[in-house]
Amino acid sequence: MTLGIIAAGIAVFTGIGAGIGIGFATGKASEAIARQPEASGKINSALLLGCALAEGTAIFGFITALLILFMG
Amino acid sequence: MLESFKESLVSALGNKTAFTIPVLGGIPVADSVVVTWIIMALLAALSLLLTRKLSVRSPGKVQTALEWAVQLLNDFVRSNLGAHWRPFAPWLGTVALYIGLSNLIGILGLTPPTKDISVTAALAIMSMLLIYGAQFRYNGLLGGLKKFAEPMPLLLPINLMEVAIRPLALCMRLFGNILGAFIIMEMLKFLVPVILPAVFSIYFDLFDGLIQTVVFVFLTTLFTGEGIQEET
Repeated sequence: MTLGIIAAGIAVFTGIGAGIGIGFATGKASEAIARQPEASGKINSALLLGCALAEGTAIFGFITALLILFMG
Repeated sequence: MLESFKESLVSALGNKTAFTIPVLGGIPVADSVVVTWIIMALLAALSLLLTRKLSVRSPGKVQTALEWAVQLLNDFVRSNLGAHWRPFAPWLGTVALYIGLSNLIGILGLTPPTKDISVTAALAIMSMLLIYGAQFRYNGLLGGLKKFAEPMPLLLPINLMEVAIRPLALCMRLFGNILGAFIIMEMLKFLVPVILPAVFSIYFDLFDGLIQTVVFVFLTTLFTGEGIQEET
């Protein structure tokens, strides 16, 4: 069981990637809106899509950790 | 103390059976199904109540608000789907209402149906059928198959993999977010039973639920649009 807890912890490390990715995307999106405020609608939808896809990796890691903790 | 908490968490994570229909050796009816019935009744009652006394000449406040919401949905679907947007708007709006309400219903103390992986899997499979059904409906059999080889034939295996990956990601994203929020809230309630859970509940129950609704509907619309939009 202790090994399982360590494995779950490692699985949750996927959150780092998602955090960095969403951070970059949001930063660039704010830059783009500052440059072209009239295009904010399109930028927002592109940002939302990118964030959702980047967040997917974190969610997969989280689900893996849960599976290890409760099923393994 | 920690052991008892873990046990209560595990029991809260499982999908409870509300009651069993005593035919054919007993059909179990899960909690999520019963809560879905409540949501259906709520939505049906609301749509009956709010659409009474509609008039063209003197629209009331309720009617104006409803028209604004429908217009918002239509504009969003039209801008993403192009010419064939009409049949998709009602379906996407219904899914948005259902997911939004089921994410928010946790506030009332009911189990959110989206915490059950079967519900999110069903929603994701319906999205998949919508995406690829639309692709073949508007391009014909050959044209629909050709869409898999776009933008270049080299990407064919990746496009075919997406048929399975898209619904899996849609399902897991919704389920993982709601479950994660649920677990964090349970832990907070265990550590600090007063005040703090109420503050965090605003984020995890209200904000996160609405964001996930938007993300689910938005991704479904975008994928559908990818399949049916003509090159301009």
